[in-house]
Amino acid sequence: MFPTLKTGAVTQYPAKRTLQFNTDALRFLDGTEQRFRDNSSVLHQWTIQLDLLDESELAAFDQFFVSNQGRFGSFSFTDPWDGTVYPNCSLGGDSFGFQLRAEMRGQTVLTVCENRT
Amino acid sequence: MYYFPQLSSGATGQFPITRQRSARTVINQSIEGYQVKLADPAAAITEWHLSFVEMNDQELAALEALFQAVEGRLTPFTFLDPVDNLLAWSEQQDQAVWQADPLLTLTAGVADPMGGTAAYQVGNPTAATLMLQQSITAPASLDYCLSLYARSDQSTEVWLIRGSATDAQAISPQWTRLNSAGQLSDTDESISFGIALDPGSTVDVFGIQAEAQTTASLYKQTAETGGVYTNARFRDDTLTITTVGPSRYSCELDIVNVEYL
Repeated sequence: MFPTLKTGAVTQYPAKRTLQFNTDALRFLDGTEQRFRDNSSVLHQWTIQLDLLDESELAAFDQFFVSNQGRFGSFSFTDPWDGTVYPNCSLGGDSFGFQLRAEMRGQTVLTVCENRT
Repeated sequence: MYYFPQLSSGATGQFPITRQRSARTVINQSIEGYQVKLADPAAAITEWHLSFVEMNDQELAALEALFQAVEGRLTPFTFLDPVDNLLAWSEQQDQAVWQADPLLTLTAGVADPMGGTAAYQVGNPTAATLMLQQSITAPASLDYCLSLYARSDQSTEVWLIRGSATDAQAISPQWTRLNSAGQLSDTDESISFGIALDPGSTVDVFGIQAEAQTTASLYKQTAETGGVYTNARFRDDTLTITTVGPSRYSCELDIVNVEYL
């Protein structure tokens, strides 16, 4: 289960969501093109940028990263934009870092990617 | 045992502190976008970037002594993460890292002060004092702070164990965060933290946390690893120190813990 902040929110502003199609385009000598789908559907990716976190919230994200072993694990993620549950998602990277500037002044960035199922 | 020294304040680091964890995942991706993943847990790396300002002569001498003793990045030392709970499985006291005396009863799934059900009820049905503790591989001579949430409907006190020190702390039916802090004169290379219960007492506990500092910070949940890194090294072979005045030094350094080295 993806951790939520103490406010109950998943993310903070500015939040970013990316939609990813994968289209192949063949261009012929006469300039015409033929396009076709490489993937069967769109994939979603969320960049979760968090600031002013306290140590407990950071620890929850850290444990989540460790338990998922980076990009390896999968989990369900609820899109904070529309509440849609995506049952097969992974962290986007094999590294997770945070900076603690002072007490309750932590910041971090995570990326969540939807996996093809 | 080499270990990273504490400042005279008892802290291991100063703000800002940056920590980065890295994993290694091998991914085979098909043209349709399907992925086959393979984890490589042995390749996990943890790094810290520490900045120190206004260090005095003694603090600098301790840091330099460690750097010279371990010869830069050559030799490992023990590093106690300044932004983590040193105890593993902080919310699963039935794991093997927790040593419970025989006949001590542990009941999981008790309501905790954070609104969850991660607290444990610990009971001592015997006529002797029983303990629940966890030992970590770290010098007993450092400053430590043990903290935990406790409550009880029947008992009025619980004992906090911090190495050879035990402090009786008053508890009530309300959740209270207790702590026991200080420095011991022990020279052991390990130290235990936990609780001791008087005969016949029953106590709900949650969020047991040990930190290498003089006061408790916010509770941090841990799983199979706590914040004790016995295979840490300096990332670099150089240590640059800036003197800004008499007995006033600053420096920045990176520490890395790689289990497979």
